Amino acid sequence: MQELPNFAPALPEIFIAFSAIALLLLGVFRKEDATQGITVLAIVAMLFAGLLVPAAAGGRVVTFGGMFVVDGFSAFTKVLVLLASAFTMAMSANWLHREKLERFEYPVLMLLATLGMMLMISANNLMALYLGLELQSLALYVLAAYQRDSGRATEAGLKYFVLGSLASGMLLYGSSLIYGFAGTTGFDALGHSFAQGVPVGVTVGMVFVIAALAFKISAVPFHMWTPDVYEGAPTPVTAFFAVAPKIAAFSLLVRVMVGPFGDLTHQWSQVVIFISLASMALGAFGAIAQNNIKRLMAYSSIGHVGYALIGLAVGDQVGIRGVLIYLAIYLFMNVGTFAVILAMRQKGRLMEGIDDLAGLSKTHPMSAAAMAIFMFSMAGIPPLAGFWGKLYVFMAAIEKGFITLAVVGVLTSVVSAYYYLRIIKVMYFDEPVEALDHGTGKGLSFIVAFNAILIVVFTFLPSSLVSSASTAAAALFGG
Amino acid sequence: MYTAVVFLPLFAAIIAGLFGRKIGDKGAQIITCGAVGLSALLSIPIFIEVVLNGHPASFQLLNWFSSGNVEDAWALRFDTLTAVMLIVVNWVSFMVHVYSIGYMHHDPSVPRFQAYLSLFTFAMLMLVTSDNLVQLFFGWEGVGLASYLLIGFWYEKPSACAAAIKAFVVNRVGDFGFALGIFSVFVLFGSVNFDPIFAAAPAKASTVIHVFGMDANAITVCCLLLFVGAMGKSAQLGLHTWLPDAMEGPTPVSALIHAATMVTAGVFMVARMSPLFEYSQTALNVVTVVGGLTALFAATVGCVQNDIKRIIAYSTCSQLGYMFFAIGVSAYQAGIFHLFTHAFFKALLFLGAGSVIHAMSDEQDIRRMGGIWKRIPLTCVLMYIGSIALAGIPPFAGYWSKDTILEAAWGAGTPFGQFAYALGVAAAFLTAFYSWRLLILTFHGRPRADEHVMAHVHESPAVMTVPLMVLAAGAIFSGYVGHEDFIGEGMGRFWSKSILLIDGHEALHNAHHVPTTISLLPTIVAVSGIALAYVMYMFAPALPRWLAKRFHGIYRFLLNKWYFDELYDFLFVKPAFWLGNGLWKGGDGAVIDACGPDGLAAVTRDLARRASALQSGYLYHYAFAMLIGVAAFVTWYIVKAG
Amino acid sequence: MDTMLLEYLPILLFLGIAVAFAAIAVGASWLVARQKPDVAKDSAYECGFDAFDDARSKFEVRFYLVAILFIIFDLEVAFLFPWAVSLGKIGLFGFWSMIGFLGVLTVGFIYEWKKGALEWE
Repeated sequence: MQELPNFAPALPEIFIAFSAIALLLLGVFRKEDATQGITVLAIVAMLFAGLLVPAAAGGRVVTFGGMFVVDGFSAFTKVLVLLASAFTMAMSANWLHREKLERFEYPVLMLLATLGMMLMISANNLMALYLGLELQSLALYVLAAYQRDSGRATEAGLKYFVLGSLASGMLLYGSSLIYGFAGTTGFDALGHSFAQGVPVGVTVGMVFVIAALAFKISAVPFHMWTPDVYEGAPTPVTAFFAVAPKIAAFSLLVRVMVGPFGDLTHQWSQVVIFISLASMALGAFGAIAQNNIKRLMAYSSIGHVGYALIGLAVGDQVGIRGVLIYLAIYLFMNVGTFAVILAMRQKGRLMEGIDDLAGLSKTHPMSAAAMAIFMFSMAGIPPLAGFWGKLYVFMAAIEKGFITLAVVGVLTSVVSAYYYLRIIKVMYFDEPVEALDHGTGKGLSFIVAFNAILIVVFTFLPSSLVSSASTAAAALFGG
Repeated sequence: MYTAVVFLPLFAAIIAGLFGRKIGDKGAQIITCGAVGLSALLSIPIFIEVVLNGHPASFQLLNWFSSGNVEDAWALRFDTLTAVMLIVVNWVSFMVHVYSIGYMHHDPSVPRFQAYLSLFTFAMLMLVTSDNLVQLFFGWEGVGLASYLLIGFWYEKPSACAAAIKAFVVNRVGDFGFALGIFSVFVLFGSVNFDPIFAAAPAKASTVIHVFGMDANAITVCCLLLFVGAMGKSAQLGLHTWLPDAMEGPTPVSALIHAATMVTAGVFMVARMSPLFEYSQTALNVVTVVGGLTALFAATVGCVQNDIKRIIAYSTCSQLGYMFFAIGVSAYQAGIFHLFTHAFFKALLFLGAGSVIHAMSDEQDIRRMGGIWKRIPLTCVLMYIGSIALAGIPPFAGYWSKDTILEAAWGAGTPFGQFAYALGVAAAFLTAFYSWRLLILTFHGRPRADEHVMAHVHESPAVMTVPLMVLAAGAIFSGYVGHEDFIGEGMGRFWSKSILLIDGHEALHNAHHVPTTISLLPTIVAVSGIALAYVMYMFAPALPRWLAKRFHGIYRFLLNKWYFDELYDFLFVKPAFWLGNGLWKGGDGAVIDACGPDGLAAVTRDLARRASALQSGYLYHYAFAMLIGVAAFVTWYIVKAG
Repeated sequence: MDTMLLEYLPILLFLGIAVAFAAIAVGASWLVARQKPDVAKDSAYECGFDAFDDARSKFEVRFYLVAILFIIFDLEVAFLFPWAVSLGKIGLFGFWSMIGFLGVLTVGFIYEWKKGALEWE
């Protein structure tokens, strides 16, 4: 007879799950459209769960038969994921209303995706990992194709679905190889089994797992879906894709690499270094020729993943701390940028071309200033937050002697600065062809302003983020 | 008071330059004229205190830099030399500022002009009040900059821009020598401040250094290098080519910078460094010869020029030659005295010429003037006064200073001195000749301008003529008033310690005891020069043309200014252009740009295109890429493990 | 190694039986029954389109909706059998896990019902 497990560590997840179910029922039983209310409730649920996460997290707790782990690391990334989800949900509300796509399934799907991400973050077993990943992915597939009357959106959804299934297949194949050769799927057990030598099968399995997770964070060469899906999917969904799942998958990748395969660092770090270099390069060069800002953001996110991967390649506590700081700053920069993009409407239609931003500084000086801040920050221009994110990662790399990574990182950020600055140039020095609409939503303006201020202010008080990232990274290394 | 004198013009320049649009033309004129006028007034009590009461002063303003054993401070030094220069610079500058109000009244950018003028004045004051070589160099470059800006003031005129660049580049050659001179002084004395240098000069008099495989007297090397700088700034033979071209600038600029003040900076600098030059006979001899040759050379060229301003410019060049050979024979006082008087009458001549040009609707060619003395009698009279002073007819200012110089050159009793005397007398003859040629062609004879221009000939407004009259007063009286103190009995007390003469250098003393023929000769040749001009241009107008035809070669040679420009063009400008073009197109364009910025940009663009081309949009391509990636990684591990 | 392979023996047996059963069923009907095909007999039935045809044909999406909904509940039942067999061993947690699963499924069922997914017209 098995006793009931300890539910307390999973309280935020349970809360989100129940919220999702409750909102689904609420939505389906309400005759008139209740999307607005449900969206608000979903945001509240996410924020509340965000409060529960740190409350539920003490030291490292494992529950559900070793499937589920809660520690400082998971708490940090969960808060980031919940924040990102709440932000993008708030951005979506406006969009749903304007595009007349208000259906209550949207917030519910986002809640479910968020739940999947939280499970991924807390996964302590290959099975739990797969479960969380699939829950997240399935919800995202639907979201990508949410605008089902649009050919581009359905194409994006289908592409994401097929390639995502391929990645899931790889993950399963890799997991079964690992199970077959190591005899266990639990992370803790795996972590102890490679002290003496490692079977080739495990290495191959590990490569497959890395490939699948690299797909989720859209790292080269598993990035191919990213530009197409980002461009095709509805903009708020793209914003969601760009932030929350990236953070979740990244933290999962970090946990898997550092936890069960911690003894194999010298093996996987080569793959990670390659992926990181390739991502940085492709992110920098691929974006230059783009005219669609969402597509540009796709390449930009590929590049950013490359920078964050530097920290993972370093593989020590300082490196992971760099990753976490980078992800946190990446979140705010991207959310802000997408909020600006969502505000780009011309006669009510959503615009996506970079040229449509022309003369923004004259028609929307505040938006243009905020966008300039985000772009400068993404380009890594001091003293904005993006600079510090890069700095911490590069510092970690240099301390451990990964000079090549740092040098390539700096060079590619120079290249990528080109297209970030190009946007600023278009906004400030080009004449507007047709002005964008005014008053595209108070919520969006608030999100833009909030993130812009955060990015500027970060320079003056980086200590809170840095110290919590340090604690989180230390938790992963059992410190 | 001492500080205010120097910094008031800077203040005015900043206000007029930065806020010119706000305060308008009137505001800029009031501020700049007011500030410079105040400086001019203040320089009188300073002169009285420093010179007449005999209280030289110096002030440390603040430390500039201190690196190793190079220590330098912003400091002001006021002795007789400085005080004299203050009077000259401030008063002439003030007159020019006021004159400009009238002369430039139709120009669209008056504030800029006034700001440049004030900036120039500040730099010039910095130069004359400096207490060390580096600060002097600062002022030196400052006036160079202001000169460049003012020559190119009408920047829409290509010839003005070219002239500005030429002035700047030619001055660079001199400044290079000057900078080397400062370095060598520092190497020799371990300091750039005047007092330690002067104190140590006697002890180092026979130090020998090794330069270019030759042993040379250290002080001689220093002095010659410094003199190269002076040659550049003061347009001495060889580096004079920029001065005539500089006449592209507005006429007040020519009067202020290219006649009265900046070009005399070289003379001032050599006089300031007299405690150094005194110990190098070689350097003094070089100065004498260069000065004498310049005096004659410029005078010959001046005789055949047709542009009213260029004639005066060559005259300036020639007069600077006089000042230098005065210094060369250790008659510094006479040189500075000539500088003092020359400032008045040459500024007068330039501003008068400006008044003529103004009257003639911007015509500058004297062949198209003539017969206008009745229309502009005041300007005509003033020009006569200036010319008489220039020619050295007693008792006008030029007579006192120029005669003394020539007498001192004779009195030096050296072959170099006598050589300079001969050249100087010849130049004096030519000076008188070309001055009257200018006067006669401009004011007398038949009108040669077209009727339209003649109808508009008018006397200039009071704001232009009053400064002319003030300067005319200077041109008439400054010689007589000053000669006693500058070069006469009172000169020992007057100059105090600002100029050093070592024993045996008694040219100036001897000047008072030369034979009567020697001292009368300059005046006689001047009168005969005037007479010749009357003969040739008033009574026998056919003569010049016949001469020009008869001695065609010489005429062309003079008209083309001894072919200096052509020579330099061939020797330096063409090769420099060729080299520059080669480096630009070949070195920079083909190698550095192609491999550097352009090449990298092209590679980046290419990579970007390829990176975007990867994105085919086909699902199976994407899936294929993923599988290839996994396969590659797995292969890598298996190969490595095996 | 042998013991591990032995564990797979039942699967091999199942495989053999399944292949044999299918072969016998098809073969017997071919051998025993009389073959008199006509158009009506050869036409597809139930799901509405030909078994051997171009896959890119238009079809009624409701067939698939029903099929997918069917699979979900089919799998539910498939889960219930092993759960019922091992209920004694997995205890209270096992029991409540299945209740939770059924609860979620029920919510899904309510959703599809309310959405009208079960109505053909």
